[in-house]
Amino acid sequence: MKASFPNLGYDTYALKTFIEDLGAEVILAPPTSRRTIELGAMHSPELICMPYKITLGNMLEALELGADTLFMAAGARKCRFGYYHYLHERALRSLGKKCRFIPITQYSPLEFVFKMMPDIFGVSPLRVVRAVAKLLTKSRLTQEFRQYLNRKRATDFDGAEKVKPKALAVIERAHTLGQIEAARGEVRRMFGVLGTVPVRGQSPGTEPQIRLGLVGEIYFMIEQFASQEIEKELGKMGAEVVFERSLYRHIRHLLFSDPAFVRSGRLAHRYLEESPGGEAIRTVGEAVYFRQQGLDGIVHIFPFTCMPENIALEALQKLSEETGIPVLSLSFDEHTSRTGLLTRLEAFVDLVKRRKLGRRLHRN
Amino acid sequence: MKVGVPRALLYYRYGRFWEEFLTGLGAEVVFSRRTDKVLLQNGLGHVSSEVCLPIKIMAGHLEELAGQVDVIFLPRLMWLEDKLYACPKMIGIVDIARMMLASAAPVGQRDGRVRLVAPKVQGSLWLPHFRAGMELCHDPVRVVRALARARRFLPAHDRVPDFPTGEKRVALIGHFYNIEDDFISRPMVDTFTGHGYRICTKDELPGSVLRSRQGFARKIRWVYERELYNAFRFLVDKVSGVCVIVSMGCGPDSLVAEFMREEAQQRDVPFLQLVVDEHTGTAGIVTRVEAFLELAERRRARASACRLKIGGQGKAA
Repeated sequence: MKASFPNLGYDTYALKTFIEDLGAEVILAPPTSRRTIELGAMHSPELICMPYKITLGNMLEALELGADTLFMAAGARKCRFGYYHYLHERALRSLGKKCRFIPITQYSPLEFVFKMMPDIFGVSPLRVVRAVAKLLTKSRLTQEFRQYLNRKRATDFDGAEKVKPKALAVIERAHTLGQIEAARGEVRRMFGVLGTVPVRGQSPGTEPQIRLGLVGEIYFMIEQFASQEIEKELGKMGAEVVFERSLYRHIRHLLFSDPAFVRSGRLAHRYLEESPGGEAIRTVGEAVYFRQQGLDGIVHIFPFTCMPENIALEALQKLSEETGIPVLSLSFDEHTSRTGLLTRLEAFVDLVKRRKLGRRLHRN
Repeated sequence: MKVGVPRALLYYRYGRFWEEFLTGLGAEVVFSRRTDKVLLQNGLGHVSSEVCLPIKIMAGHLEELAGQVDVIFLPRLMWLEDKLYACPKMIGIVDIARMMLASAAPVGQRDGRVRLVAPKVQGSLWLPHFRAGMELCHDPVRVVRALARARRFLPAHDRVPDFPTGEKRVALIGHFYNIEDDFISRPMVDTFTGHGYRICTKDELPGSVLRSRQGFARKIRWVYERELYNAFRFLVDKVSGVCVIVSMGCGPDSLVAEFMREEAQQRDVPFLQLVVDEHTGTAGIVTRVEAFLELAERRRARASACRLKIGGQGKAA
């Protein structure tokens, strides 16, 4: 079996290790590019949201490289994500692609471990549990890597970009649990982080000017290409991007062990009494949390016409109105212009910086 | 007590029911005026530009009501039977309304805020409506009586309409809140009827058809999308063309319309997808509908020519 799956930002490597652990050969889709999006959009319904187009493009490109089995996550009821795989499968069939298409339904860990994975790969549930444990460890490592990277970008952008490929190579190489732990130490060393708990403000020069909270739709939070590498651009402008959503957190959530999920629900309740599906509750909850943590602004990213996030957008506007925290909501599709995006980001970062500086001056 | 009901979204299905129910509670029921350009423009200011047209219209209606009434009655439909969910925006509109009303209390009324009564419908209508009724009039007997009286106004069709042969028919597939809102659907409806077509919509079909779980419909977990799809399946071989109205930014429709398009193509039925938003001009719609009708006309002519050739044994309409 030559398995492949749509890219998922830095977590692609974690998923690769996971499938390899289950005994399949993995062919990674080429890094997402303009071509991926164009390929995907060409075979997609006009009005569907962007993650569909990118993931379809990823799959088509993976098939070109010789993959014969495709994995795709499938979501729940209220959001369009739950229907992606029907359309994906149809699109692949109508293009005459011969491959096995396997939608992985989430939200049922027991079925996943005891039925779905053993059936597909012919392995014992124990092996699946081990693989999941490793997936958790590795995705936690990528999450940590992203945090360090974002922090370093804000103060030393060139240095951070130089370390990034090296650190990614280290992460990619780590296969066993021991190696992953070793890689964690290595990554920390590379980014100059001391101790187990990252310490803020170790020396005066390392404190970023402003800190922005990134919230939004999970695919956009994880896959950097989709949001046109917004974390990188904000880092370049001297803002540290703080995020909470990641593959690690998501898996924890699926295993019913993510305390942040409960917290988000509690904090968001003031704005959204019922979940409109997708991740709206988390988006709002995290934004409220970030404000409580004293972050300077919120950046909200989501695909164009995303239903739950549009509801979240209204709640974030309300949050901004009530508390005065600046919120920038950005929706993306394949036509989003980079220049336009950069201008908006620059203006926003400028505004946040001025506000912060002004407040400091006022206090003195 | 004045209770306002916005004339948008679910009003088009449960409006009569709510009117009777609220009147039974002793409230004075105020409906917002019919959708028009001004109302829509007012609504645009309250919601993001990306939400779909019906939500923008709803925002306009809410704004209009906010100045006139004491209570706004806006049930939140979570899911109906079989755990079929409403779309995220329909669930979220209540929260949007709450935030809107809190911040945009009209001038001169800042002290007396408009109260929002939003019973949460999960599966059954009765319990949430009973609770909402208690919130409004505190008299359980009266609430139950009002509900019992309002009951017959619930939409119920149990008869399959006739489809006589030789009649020109077209299926207009779209959400009831789009089709029954004249502001959105007037140009299409007028063009179709002007050309002598009978319009078949999903709302004249019996529930047994709409709620069917045959085929792909079983996998659709949005309550109104399943109805749309079932209506499409039911009507597709009884009409000479299918016209689907999708509001720009409607997530569920963007998916389900795609499945319908594919199926219509397979069956060689003319298919027109009209995407509407607040910028849609009447002229553009009329042109497209006319072109579509011409196509349907030609197909009909061709089909009847074929039928004559093989001795009148064509596909029965």
